[in-house]
Amino acid sequence: MKTNAGNLKKGEFVYHQGEIWQIQKAEFYSPGKGSALMKTRLKNLHSGKNIDYTFKSNEPVELVEVESVEMQFLYKDESNLYFMDEKSYNQYSLPISVVGDTSFYLKEGDKYYVYLQNEKPLNIKPPLSVKLKIIETEEAIKGDTVTGAKKPAKLETGVVVMVPLFVKKGDIISVNPETGEYTGRA
Amino acid sequence: MQIKTTVENLKNYQIYLLVLKAIEEFLDKKGYLKIELPVLSPSLIPESYLEIFETEFKYLDKKEKLYLTPSPELFLKRLLAYGVGDCYYLGKSFRNCEPNSSLHSPEFMMLEFYKTKANYMDVAEEVIEMLSFIAERCYSWLVSGSVVNFRKKFGITKKILKQRKHDFSIIYKGKLISFKNWEKISVSEAFKKYAGISSKELFDHQLFIKKAEKKGYQVKGFSYEDVWSQIYSQEIEPWLGKNGYPTLIYDYPKEFAALAKLNPDKKTSQRFEFYIEGIELGDCYTELTDWKEQENRFGQELAKIKKQKKTIARVDKGFIEALKYGLNPCAGIAIGVDRLAMIFCDASSIDKLKLINIT
Repeated sequence: MKTNAGNLKKGEFVYHQGEIWQIQKAEFYSPGKGSALMKTRLKNLHSGKNIDYTFKSNEPVELVEVESVEMQFLYKDESNLYFMDEKSYNQYSLPISVVGDTSFYLKEGDKYYVYLQNEKPLNIKPPLSVKLKIIETEEAIKGDTVTGAKKPAKLETGVVVMVPLFVKKGDIISVNPETGEYTGRA
Repeated sequence: MQIKTTVENLKNYQIYLLVLKAIEEFLDKKGYLKIELPVLSPSLIPESYLEIFETEFKYLDKKEKLYLTPSPELFLKRLLAYGVGDCYYLGKSFRNCEPNSSLHSPEFMMLEFYKTKANYMDVAEEVIEMLSFIAERCYSWLVSGSVVNFRKKFGITKKILKQRKHDFSIIYKGKLISFKNWEKISVSEAFKKYAGISSKELFDHQLFIKKAEKKGYQVKGFSYEDVWSQIYSQEIEPWLGKNGYPTLIYDYPKEFAALAKLNPDKKTSQRFEFYIEGIELGDCYTELTDWKEQENRFGQELAKIKKQKKTIARVDKGFIEALKYGLNPCAGIAIGVDRLAMIFCDASSIDKLKLINIT
């Protein structure tokens, strides 16, 4: 399916220079000279590397047709994450280099959506937020009233995020898995 | 779209106000006259590379089309022709079909100033001096005793401020940027250096398209201007303003002359843009004063607007009349003040400057 580059949106998959890429960022850009452009950041789904590429906004781009399937996250090893489709019992693996930092926030046993193209897994669809338990954080220091002050907290998946001072060990918090930002107490 | 209130932006907003104040102080000191202008106009200069906002004035059964001005140029050039001298506008401009992004807003703060008996490089001198003046003003405000609480609230320590070393520099994204002087590069040098495109290839449409195709760009059905813009954005812009100084890139091909005077080589125009960290901040021309040439370019622009099915506004004939009356040699620059202030705030997006945004 073809579309004009001006319509590209974050999260979509495209064919570009013979490979499949996922759009990480797409910004329309009118430079005040010449024609309008679409500035994108593309992630190569083979190597996980990002590149910045500028399309002409009216340039035809081939979209990759994908389906998203709910799967259970089984485990990860040094280089891959493993998922299982609970209906078909098929297992799929995704390189950590492709999933990126989001992989630090995934909990074994939980369900996530995985994008498939003809049975080939491309990437996960990051949930808007994940709920994770704090296993380690310092007590708040009294008298510290600087607006917006934060402290580090280690979550059950092992990743460390910055949280407000009032959050305690054992609390379950919501985190945006794409940015690692604390979004509230669950 | 919706109204978004962000009180957390208070720190950046204060610096934004400081930048506006410093600009006015600098230009007033240099003898430029501040000009208040309407933002609604019954006619416009035809510019094919932008889309406009159209509205309507109604009175009983009378209706008249009005347009939000995409730039104050049509007003300021009239005033210049009638002898007002060095002048500036600092206020809102409007461009349609440019969705909100980190560097774009359909409604934005524009500084446009004109210097008489001057060319584009004279304006460049003025701009670098202005940037260093703004940096100095922001610095002295931040270290002054009256803002102790402000510094405390936002965690701005003396140590952070000291990193700047000089009054005429700022820190942007962890890098020191000095406004002591420009890094200058011509468009043709930049294409050679960053894209491997020789000046012979740059100015010959056929050779240029061929080279672009070799590089893997889609060229079928696209004009020289289309492909040129794409390569400029992809391969040149990211390198501009990265070496600790703002970069001034000058002498654009005549296809991008817009309202700028051509150089004697007839291939390039007296136009420059300037960049910090790959972000375009300003666009300057030695102004075209030949009314016949201007009328001619208006015709070409209008044809392009029709072809692209964009909104056709009434052509501002008074502008040509003013040029006929006689525009003395002058040069002018337009600067995106939101982007500029964003850099002085060390912010990554223009919506981090304001307390109310429409997004």
